[in-house]
Amino acid sequence: MMLRLALHSLTRRRSRTALTVAGVAVAAAMLLDMVMLGSGMRESFRGFVEQQGFDLRLTPRGTMPFDTEATVGGGAALVARLRADPQIAEVAPVLGGRVFVSEPDPVAAFSIGLEPAVQADYVLEDGRDIAAGDEMVANAALLAAVGAEIGDTVRVAGGYDPQMRRVTGARQLALVGRGRFVMLAADERAVAMPLATLQSMVEPARAGAATSEPVRADRLSVILIRARDGVDIEALRTRLEREDPRLSALSTAAALEFMDERLGYFRQLAFILASVSLLVGFLLVTTLVTVSVNERIGEIAVMRAIGVARGRIVAQVMAEGLALSAVGATLGLGLGLLTARWLNGILAAFPGLPDAFDFFLFEPSSAVRSLAMLVACGVLAGIWPAWRAATLPIARTLREEAVA
Amino acid sequence: MTVNIACVLSLLAAQGLPVSSGPQAQQPAQAPPAASVDSTRLRTIAIDERLAEEAGLGIGDLVTVTTVAGTPGDTVGIAAITRRGADPSDISRGEFKVRLHLDHLQQLTGAGDRVGRFAVLAEDAAVPRINAMAFGFQAHRAADVAVETSTTFRVVNRFHRAIGVITIVASAIFLLCITLLKVDERRRDVGALRLLGISRRTVVWSVVLEASLVALVGSAMGALLGWGASALVNHYYQGLYSTPLRFTLVTPGIIGFAVVLSLVLGIGAGLIAAQRLVRRSPLELVGR
Repeated sequence: MMLRLALHSLTRRRSRTALTVAGVAVAAAMLLDMVMLGSGMRESFRGFVEQQGFDLRLTPRGTMPFDTEATVGGGAALVARLRADPQIAEVAPVLGGRVFVSEPDPVAAFSIGLEPAVQADYVLEDGRDIAAGDEMVANAALLAAVGAEIGDTVRVAGGYDPQMRRVTGARQLALVGRGRFVMLAADERAVAMPLATLQSMVEPARAGAATSEPVRADRLSVILIRARDGVDIEALRTRLEREDPRLSALSTAAALEFMDERLGYFRQLAFILASVSLLVGFLLVTTLVTVSVNERIGEIAVMRAIGVARGRIVAQVMAEGLALSAVGATLGLGLGLLTARWLNGILAAFPGLPDAFDFFLFEPSSAVRSLAMLVACGVLAGIWPAWRAATLPIARTLREEAVA
Repeated sequence: MTVNIACVLSLLAAQGLPVSSGPQAQQPAQAPPAASVDSTRLRTIAIDERLAEEAGLGIGDLVTVTTVAGTPGDTVGIAAITRRGADPSDISRGEFKVRLHLDHLQQLTGAGDRVGRFAVLAEDAAVPRINAMAFGFQAHRAADVAVETSTTFRVVNRFHRAIGVITIVASAIFLLCITLLKVDERRRDVGALRLLGISRRTVVWSVVLEASLVALVGSAMGALLGWGASALVNHYYQGLYSTPLRFTLVTPGIIGFAVVLSLVLGIGAGLIAAQRLVRRSPLELVGR
């Protein structure tokens, strides 16, 4: 009975109710989008980090992995020491640098030198993995740029002198596979080759006159570490930093914290817009229910006069708020998913982001929580008008309504 | 001429490491005045203010710079602390910046007589000529470089516009809804006016005028609120990213757009609401 009365009251002014529901739906969509934005970047990045399956990343002190060109020397001894550590299960040394694939014209590409048996930087899409020192895997962007195919042999150089138009430190490498580099943008040209191969390449811009000495020899950009089961990661991180002051050790949690700091702007924007959306939804429902109660003031006074309890009046008015916000939130769910796709498409153009990085990540539990908050706001929005309706002075209201 | 280098060039003190051994490293935390750095014997560098703040460095402090962490380098004096320019490409970068004299950096890095880039004051027409005659060089106009380095901000700008579109849709619905409610609430007054002989046209115009006034006052308050919010946003993010870059701009054009949009929406909503009202008979409006 109470619900029927509430629904009847809402359908009495259809266009007004439809507009309010539309307003709540837009607010719900915005709220959902902002919740998706707030958690999406973090979870997306967590996915990338955890996909690699390592617990710690060792980098030259004060730097983030591949954020700068800094490297650390004595790589072989360092890796040997880490592999001998009883708390460490696996060590993956990596060197990053620029190379030039020089057929037909030099094409610059980001190069990762790694140990294929323990690598976590690319996923093989076609062909086979690196098995020898003169083999490499490239991504689709590089293959397209140089017009090469799996099975070809290409000339790869460690340096290029644009004035003399000559490459240096060149080697013939067989292209054995095509890979997707998990941390790189899809349009960023990239190759992976054995660590020793990249270390042996000369980089003349750094070496100056002494081009016979490879400047990357025995150097590493980052070392990925997987700890043994049961090892306290934070304690291991602290110990490794203490043992070698040249290094910073970065845990997954610290990497996420760093990501949060860099993309803090979006989280703050998401929080502000989500709060505004909730407020707009609240105001819309409050306004409509208040006006609706004002219009039916005589009707409510009659109901009270014939013995309808205050509680039932309150429940009926609050049911109106609940119905408006629930219908609006349901419509907003679909609208929010559509707008999230649109907004994600815009932000996907960010330079240097991995292709699979999502700014808007749909998590059913977060979506339900946020929309439930909006519905709760709708119910709360009905409290004031409901209280007002329930506490009307019956006789005076009836007299005033009769005179009107 | 100076050249920017990233902090990967290991300003050891900045990384929290001891600044090399020897009495020079034992500088007090309080920086002596700039004049105390003897530039005839000691090379000098400039560091950015964020590095100075995070590493606790000041003018006159001595630090060691080296190209490879953990290897011996040159002891230099800090002669200047620089403030970051309003460069969008710097915003998301976490690295510190150290400026050295060109020959010093060339010597440190073993780069010989090499340079990364030249800045040349020239006419736009000179760009193709330079590219045609200078073997191994590529000339770029400053404007093109600016466009290239501000890709991140252009994406953010597109995102903001999209959010703006959603906000406008929500505002339009909100305004229409409120105007309808407000006009509907006064149906008895309108009914009485109509019974007194006031024409439909006058009623419509009075409702539209009222809606326009509400929209105008609302947009003026919104402009003030927006201006205040913009100042807050700029203050917060300029501090957060240590940059003089202005993150939000309230221009006369933007205020004009907001006012015109509010007026259009207000008048539109007023017209719709008024038309709905005057279509009904006066007796119906007064509840008879």
